[in-house]
Amino acid sequence: MTAAEEDSTASPAAAAAGLSRATRFGAVGWLRWAWRQLTSMRTALILLFLLALASVPGSVLPQEGIDPAAVTQYYQSHPALAPVLNRLSLFSVFAAPWFAAIYILLFASLAGCVLPRTIRLVGSARQRPPRAPSNLARLPATASYTTDLTPGTALQSAAQLLGQRRFRLHTGDGWVSAEKGYLREVGNLLFHLALLALLFSVALGGIFGYKANRLLIVGQGFANTPTDLDVFRPGRLVGPGSLQPFSINLQNFHAQYVASGPEIDQPLSYNAGLNYQTRPGAPVRHYTLRVNHPLVVDGASVYLIGHGYAPVVKVTDGTGTVRWDGPVPFIPVDQSTMTSEGVIKVPDAKPAQLGFAGVFLPSAVNAGGTLESAFPSALNPRLSLIGFSGNLGMNSGQAQSVYQLDTQGLHQLRMVASPLAAGQSMTLPNGLGTVTYLGYQQWISLAITYDPGQLPALVSGFAALAGLILSFLVRRRRVFVRAAAAADGRTEVTLGGLARSDAAGGFEGEFTELAQMLRAQQAGTFGAGPKASQDPPGDAVEAETARAGADRHEVALTGPDGE
Amino acid sequence: MSRPPARIRSALGAAAMALAAALLVAMGTAGCAGGDIGANTPGSSGQSFVSHSYESTFYRVGDRPLAPVVAGSTISGQKISLASYRGDTIVLNFWGSWCAPCRAEAPALGQLARNLAAKGVKFIGVDIRDQPDSARAFMQTFNVGYPSLNDPGDEIALEFHSTVPPAAIPTTLIIDRSGRIAARIFGASSYAQLQALISKVIGQPA
Repeated sequence: MTAAEEDSTASPAAAAAGLSRATRFGAVGWLRWAWRQLTSMRTALILLFLLALASVPGSVLPQEGIDPAAVTQYYQSHPALAPVLNRLSLFSVFAAPWFAAIYILLFASLAGCVLPRTIRLVGSARQRPPRAPSNLARLPATASYTTDLTPGTALQSAAQLLGQRRFRLHTGDGWVSAEKGYLREVGNLLFHLALLALLFSVALGGIFGYKANRLLIVGQGFANTPTDLDVFRPGRLVGPGSLQPFSINLQNFHAQYVASGPEIDQPLSYNAGLNYQTRPGAPVRHYTLRVNHPLVVDGASVYLIGHGYAPVVKVTDGTGTVRWDGPVPFIPVDQSTMTSEGVIKVPDAKPAQLGFAGVFLPSAVNAGGTLESAFPSALNPRLSLIGFSGNLGMNSGQAQSVYQLDTQGLHQLRMVASPLAAGQSMTLPNGLGTVTYLGYQQWISLAITYDPGQLPALVSGFAALAGLILSFLVRRRRVFVRAAAAADGRTEVTLGGLARSDAAGGFEGEFTELAQMLRAQQAGTFGAGPKASQDPPGDAVEAETARAGADRHEVALTGPDGE
Repeated sequence: MSRPPARIRSALGAAAMALAAALLVAMGTAGCAGGDIGANTPGSSGQSFVSHSYESTFYRVGDRPLAPVVAGSTISGQKISLASYRGDTIVLNFWGSWCAPCRAEAPALGQLARNLAAKGVKFIGVDIRDQPDSARAFMQTFNVGYPSLNDPGDEIALEFHSTVPPAAIPTTLIIDRSGRIAARIFGASSYAQLQALISKVIGQPA
């Protein structure tokens, strides 16, 4: 679709006409006017631009669907702004109602524009060439000659030649119309249909696809079922049973970083060794997951999108019972040093619930009295914790983030927060228990996406491109032939031609060649006499004619620019 | 993550580009679908969750899907299988000690289990994404008398994939005497709500 092809209905005059019609037809007129406005090229372009504009915050602000941990971090660093942004759906831009409004309108606009046009194009591709105009001399390319053939025979042989050259023919009394280049319309048609198919493919993905996120600690596994996903965004018709029933176990994870030079701290590679089953009971297979090399199971793709550390902590409560013993995922706050923050909640500690807010430093160094991390690898891991006791607010049933402590019902324990090395413990005051830092594990975050519309979208994208190229490269051109008896008893044959949208040029040459062939053929039917050489050649065409031995015909050829 | 590493950033960028190139981003429609069901699980940020309110479904006899005969080790190390419960009505509760709504409903479940034992209603828990120490601590806190299967990788939930898969934590399934799923509850249930559903399944006041 180019703007030039656009309906004139979007022009102010037409809009005004629509308005006047609206005043006459009332509601129906208004609806028709609204529909025309919606399906106009201008509206589609504005909507497309709006869609692009609306996606900008999606790439500037962290997105819930892509990296929920980054959103948590944003909440921490912008406590006042974040709730406002959240209310405006700016952390899930692509799921926002205003975003949906834009693309639903765009969808309607494009479908409303493309469908009627497709119907017109089908008609155009099946069309017979129009009747030959009465005055062919007014066409951009013309040629004429006389022959001794009868008008009927001349037309017949012209039709034959054009037919051989795969022109579509339409004959009438004293004329032949021929048209070629219907492939242009086929290309156009393909482009429009592919565009519609693209829209439907994308809708298909939105209806039957889903997206999910999962944080997975080394040594642990998960199943692709809604209860086991951290974030699950199903399409409209996706139920819990529609998910591919695979399960993944994370065997190991290795991150490599540049250790020196200007690129220090930059990641070199991430490799996650996975064992997976496509369904319960299926054989266990291994896959090494890398960035941009997803694991594909039954059409669902599992991407590696992030990683971090999970300090392994053991919490013993005041009764001497171990209430927590395992890794706790911490969220990196600085990717270059992997300094990470997290919380540990021990809701079943006695006599009081315990909570800890911690900072994990993978490569701790002393920087002027304070410890900070110098490198993303765990060269000298340290964990520092601040303890809280009281009410964690979990028993009320209100779901809460596992990365945040609700300190409302908690009070901070008075204790020296010294960074712990692996194996070191810290005793909590008032006989509340002890906490031991045992070591660390690594975790990865996975994005699971299933989009059944992906392949159809790709195919229709390519089809649209092919159609567009075809419609640009193929010219639609018409050649008309008229034959009439002249006063001297001979037959005057007139040719006229025109190319539609001949941007690339080249029709002139084709037309000249056709005219020469036709003339040579019709002269040749009569047999060339020895007189051929007596007429001196006048121009290039005449010379060509002389060589063909068709001297008895006078030829005047004018190119497309001749007039 | 204020500065994602270059490779991860490029992956995100490529994903974002692909989405933008697809013109109408599919996740948009997905977003209209409503609650982020698993959003209160560990690993989620919990910022945008829709806390899952109570939702129950009752299946009439004839419409009840056959429950998979799941088996495994309990938190205390004992082996149990649903097969040995055939003939009983089973209340299967998927929970985790980290899950706030599970903590909220735990006292009611423990109480019901004790009160209904005589009526042939057996309670079994399935402990999801948990570790044994915190699970034991949970059971002690809420005085949970019935056993719970240890399911850190959610494999038991996955076995319900083709029947009535749990879609939230907690999810409670009521399995009738013939081993068919008669009711499903998403979200924390109260004593009265669960009692009413069980009565409906066993066909007598519970």
